[in-house]
Amino acid sequence: MTVPTGERVPRADCIADAAGGVTFDIAGTGAPGALLVLRRRGGAGDTVRLPLTPAGGNHSRAVLPSTVELAEGHWDAYTDDGAAVEPGIRDLRALVGRVPEAVRIAVRVPYPTADGRLAVRCWVREPHAEAGDIAVSQGACTVEGVLYGAVLGAGAVAEARLGETVHRVPPTADCAGGRFAVTLEYATLAGPAADGERLWTLWLRPSADAEPVRISRILDDVWDRRNVFVYPAHEGEGYRAAPCYTADNDLCVRLSPPG
Amino acid sequence: MHISFLLHNAYGIGGTIRTTFTLAGTLAERHDVEIVSVFRHREEPTLGAPPGVTMRHLLDLRQGSSTYDGTDPDYTRPARVFPRGDGRWKQYSRLTDARIAAYLRSLEADVVVGTRPGLNVHIARQAPRGPVRVGQEHLTLDSHGYRLRREIAHRYTLLDAVTTVTEADALAYRTRLRLPDVRIEAVPNSVPAPAVAPADGDGTWVVAAGRLLKVKRYDLLVKAFSKVVAARPDWRLRIYGGGDATGNERAALLDLIARRELHNHVFLMGPVHPLEPEWVKGSIAAVTSNRESFGMTIVEAMRCGLPVVSTDCPHGPREIIEDGVDGLLVPVGDEDAIADALLALINDDEFRRRAGAAALKASERFDPARIAERHEALFAELVAGGVRVRSRSALRDVVHRSRGAVLDAAYALRYRAADAVRKGKAA
Repeated sequence: MTVPTGERVPRADCIADAAGGVTFDIAGTGAPGALLVLRRRGGAGDTVRLPLTPAGGNHSRAVLPSTVELAEGHWDAYTDDGAAVEPGIRDLRALVGRVPEAVRIAVRVPYPTADGRLAVRCWVREPHAEAGDIAVSQGACTVEGVLYGAVLGAGAVAEARLGETVHRVPPTADCAGGRFAVTLEYATLAGPAADGERLWTLWLRPSADAEPVRISRILDDVWDRRNVFVYPAHEGEGYRAAPCYTADNDLCVRLSPPG
Repeated sequence: MHISFLLHNAYGIGGTIRTTFTLAGTLAERHDVEIVSVFRHREEPTLGAPPGVTMRHLLDLRQGSSTYDGTDPDYTRPARVFPRGDGRWKQYSRLTDARIAAYLRSLEADVVVGTRPGLNVHIARQAPRGPVRVGQEHLTLDSHGYRLRREIAHRYTLLDAVTTVTEADALAYRTRLRLPDVRIEAVPNSVPAPAVAPADGDGTWVVAAGRLLKVKRYDLLVKAFSKVVAARPDWRLRIYGGGDATGNERAALLDLIARRELHNHVFLMGPVHPLEPEWVKGSIAAVTSNRESFGMTIVEAMRCGLPVVSTDCPHGPREIIEDGVDGLLVPVGDEDAIADALLALINDDEFRRRAGAAALKASERFDPARIAERHEALFAELVAGGVRVRSRSALRDVVHRSRGAVLDAAYALRYRAADAVRKGKAA
């Protein structure tokens, strides 16, 4: 792609739509055949090439349709001559409070990396357990959520996992709209006192013979909610406990030594 | 016109830098404009140089540069011209005294514009007769300490004009300082039209933005939001902005959010740039400060089509918001009033949309082109007036400057005495 002088670093404005599509607008008109390339970080050869077409007003546009499959992970944006693309204005308002319609949920959130490049965070889930509000009370937390792409049936169970250890609790299900709630007692997760931090990952098994579904929160514009969704900690006997999210927006209960 | 802006550091990040870049870039469409940065510590301006504007610097502090000035012995000797009362005094030196003096002496511009009190003082003291001398005030007279107020009261008499960002501050300059021959004009800051479509008012988010500092009173906003959530649990609040250096305010706010059980409704989003795409995710903006020297975030939110609930604090908000039309003004420090104003907009979809549309329209007056025209008109009028009708005659300059030297010595003694007294008290 020919980058005009004075625009040494290509910069893309993005607009995300609610279905999972993303439009990239780059200043400057590309040469015929110019491409925007998305390459999955750590994924050998995983590449998606999107044609950059003139969009008027000295801009070119590439479109990532919701129908194009992108594996879960981080996809870095480049021009076809290998230059990294800078993030411009990212209009992600359509992602806020998103209620998905498709059974297979594809989430694409354009975001700026720590070193100032444009990347797209992708999740693909089918089925998907979306975490919502979390109530914290004395010694326990209750996670409310919505299950998409599966129905909670007989033998449904929520699981907290730490290595090989699995702790099971029955979810309360509200069949309307797939809503569920899971209450986890911190004391049962605390076990004997430990030195380091332990992260119990949370899963939902829709029925006795179904595969477990990871409980995550991905249906909005927040690609990394570790420092944004902060929950009050409970100080128990010999431990401190609080719900938290991982860098991948998966929900956990964190047990740590008392503060 | 040839216009020269004198800026502390064009290579950093800050409101004054952003505002000066916007103004200089807009004026450069019709005029010959340069920005002279006293300091330069990196290759490119962090905010991106404004198009069409000549950039130069007086002191090179780029590590490894062949013209590096940090080893000059004068660089570590304290400044004498740059006033001690300006908060940046420690960064200035005998070297900046000399370099700024040399720049001003060789000025070929029609207008020279200072962008902070210390630099305005330099211009008043060292610019030759000829160019129009303008001092910009980006903060407020109130926000300056006693020492700086005394210094500018005495020095600004040799400026042709002082511009403030609010009428309230212009009034303070007119009534509290004796500057009979200096034009004092309020010209608000400008905010460009956002690159995103305006908010549609359908979302259920309140948005606030600004560094997490005590003066911003986010604690009040969080408390007010308790009352909002009790009535409308479907509405939520996002606060954008980085913490202060200590991180204490963020920790205090998280603690408050936890105690009020608002962790599902109030979110500290961290620093985000640019803010435009964040404003449009909301339907109402909130400003709960004790003070706003202008109220840039209010204008930014309005330009994105959001009605703003703001405290009626000094100085800017009431000059930006038309109460009840494009936003709501509430008394300073009153959490119930903040909650009631938010709920008035939340509970009345029609009012919220109408106020948002009014905000979008009203905020056009802050467009860079319209604001630049006001500066341009002032500059042009002063240039056309010529040296004679402006405040200064050569004789007055000389008289004022020699009187100044005597006063300087007297002030210096007095400050030293005051310092000694203060130190005594502290010990």
